Amino acid sequence: MPSTFNGTIPLRAFGRSGDKISILGFGGHHLGEAPDAKTAVEIIHQAVDGGITFYDNCWEYRRGKTEVWMGAGLKGRRDKIFLMTKTCPHGRDASLALTMLEESLRRLQTDHLDLWQVHGMAFENDPALFIRPNGAAEALEKARKDGKVRYVGFTGHQNPKVHLGMLETGFKFDAVQMPLNAFDANFRSFEQQVLPELNKRGIAVLGMKPLNGHGDAIKQGVITAEEALRYAMSLPVTTTITGIDSLDVLHQNLQIAQNFKPFTDAEMNALRDRCKQEAADGRYELYKLSLKFDNPEARLAHGFPLDTQQSEVKDMLGEPENTGHPFPEKQF
Amino acid sequence: METRHELNRRRFMQGVALLGAVPIISGGSMAQPQNDASQIPSGVVPKRPLGRTGVQVSAMGLGGYHLGSAETDQAANEIVAKALDHGVTFYDCAWEYHDGLSEERLGKALRGKRDQAFVMTKVCTHGRDKKIGMRMLEESLRRLQTDHLDLWQIHEVVYENDPDLIFASNGAAEALLAAKQQGKVRFVGFTGHKDPEIHLKMLSHDFPFDTVQMPLNCCDATFRSFETHVLPEVNRRGIGALGMKSLGGSGELVRHGAVTPEQGLRYAMSLPVATTISGVDTMEVLDQNLKVAVNFQVLAATEMQALRDQCRPQAADGRLELFKMTTKYDGKIGREQHHFPTVQELPI
Repeated sequence: MPSTFNGTIPLRAFGRSGDKISILGFGGHHLGEAPDAKTAVEIIHQAVDGGITFYDNCWEYRRGKTEVWMGAGLKGRRDKIFLMTKTCPHGRDASLALTMLEESLRRLQTDHLDLWQVHGMAFENDPALFIRPNGAAEALEKARKDGKVRYVGFTGHQNPKVHLGMLETGFKFDAVQMPLNAFDANFRSFEQQVLPELNKRGIAVLGMKPLNGHGDAIKQGVITAEEALRYAMSLPVTTTITGIDSLDVLHQNLQIAQNFKPFTDAEMNALRDRCKQEAADGRYELYKLSLKFDNPEARLAHGFPLDTQQSEVKDMLGEPENTGHPFPEKQF
Repeated sequence: METRHELNRRRFMQGVALLGAVPIISGGSMAQPQNDASQIPSGVVPKRPLGRTGVQVSAMGLGGYHLGSAETDQAANEIVAKALDHGVTFYDCAWEYHDGLSEERLGKALRGKRDQAFVMTKVCTHGRDKKIGMRMLEESLRRLQTDHLDLWQIHEVVYENDPDLIFASNGAAEALLAAKQQGKVRFVGFTGHKDPEIHLKMLSHDFPFDTVQMPLNCCDATFRSFETHVLPEVNRRGIGALGMKSLGGSGELVRHGAVTPEQGLRYAMSLPVATTISGVDTMEVLDQNLKVAVNFQVLAATEMQALRDQCRPQAADGRLELFKMTTKYDGKIGREQHHFPTVQELPI
């Protein structure tokens, strides 16, 4: 698929900052599904060559594996790209968030981040915990002041109201990340409730879950991957972050992004209408719907009980590779 | 008749086993109630105006779902008789509860006493058309052994596209109007337990609803809150507000130590609502409720705030309000009629 190498992807302004980033962003979580570090590094190299300049990651993804692999892949290419990762205090103190920052910088082999975001605002009391004295808001301020991060933001996938609650804290965010897809348009909608507010404030919008997180709607034939990606990228956002776990997926995404043409308003409406009936009970957006999709780390940090029968808790506690130690495995 | 009820109940219990979707205990049965009716004070449950209808209803209503869960027809009869004796005038039901058993039991229990009660039941079109709604009305009237309802509500408005379906041409909204015009129902409204936004979308149509039913409890106060987002709007419009799920639907708030049954009921009844509908399946639960509701006086604002604060930590992830968070309280018929997969087919 030579056409996707050394290609370019359209760039858009990152809020009011003057920076520009590619309209397609590289989602870090799925990188951990690559079979090994070598493959992951190759995926990153081809992504950079193919024109993706925005790279997403998170301190808690796969116990650090995805940050380590991305750091290896970006070695020697750091200055060509815009690097984001997330901190995961989940309501806990600023000092913990800053400890996570140091660890992220080390894993990513860099001395600064372009964007540092608070991960996973999900619960009704998250805005209050964020803005409290000694909360994560102070960590963002300090990291920005110390020059370790250029911009700051927050992410979440559960509830537009929680996002609005974060904005109401009055904290000056440079970026906000949220799910945006043709199903979201019809169900507890970030597109309707949060996106216009961010645009109004000049905050950079980072869309995620263009394929609904798991691609189930595509597997069921409700929408194609290309339609879904084009829908998300046609919204007034800076970038659309999509998970990339293989060269095949990368090439498919590069094709779409390099040749991107926005949908017309009529085409956008037709897609919304097509998904409306399927969207109405939220089953394709389980990240908004079910306690079972809560991040177990976040539940623990909030003092919420864990249901050990939940599939994701099982994943966290029971995966054969999960020894409870961070990646890479320490040798004892 | 008995046989048929036994059959219905069996079918219903199979439904429970399949769905895991139906409350297993009544609203208040976690109370470990003291079996001592003598503690019910003399007096009656106070009455309150039902919005701008000009009618007054008792501040506590009897939930019809749990009437179908009572051990026997006789037990249901006795519950209704005793509730009437203590001034409970508001009786809730729905066409689809227990395959009709709840309506049949309520009809029997109110025989000869119809004029003492304000009878409500719900229509279960779940997005289907007016004609089906009108057919359900005839069936409800027959089961309830009456020629008219005091209140007829659209049941379980919980899906994002429900308002569109209800207000579509030939939809359920037209059934409400027709029934009112024909004198078969005095007042009309809707119910739902899922999302304040959906209630607000229903209200945005400016349809002449007389009532709106919604979950109201100490956890709702700080989580995806009907109390904060819907109740003021309903009051502003002069619509009668009907509270439900005061203890979480199946006593979740009590079982997990957020409130005592008395606190939960008192909180819900102290809100600006016409009535608080509470499910009763045993005499013990009824006695417990009546002890709170007879001669009821609303809590002070500071007491209300203390209860909100007490519940806030357990409210924040919604785990005690499963009707908002999970499919547990979403009816099977509703999902079928929306062409959604069954709960068993969902990956949650």
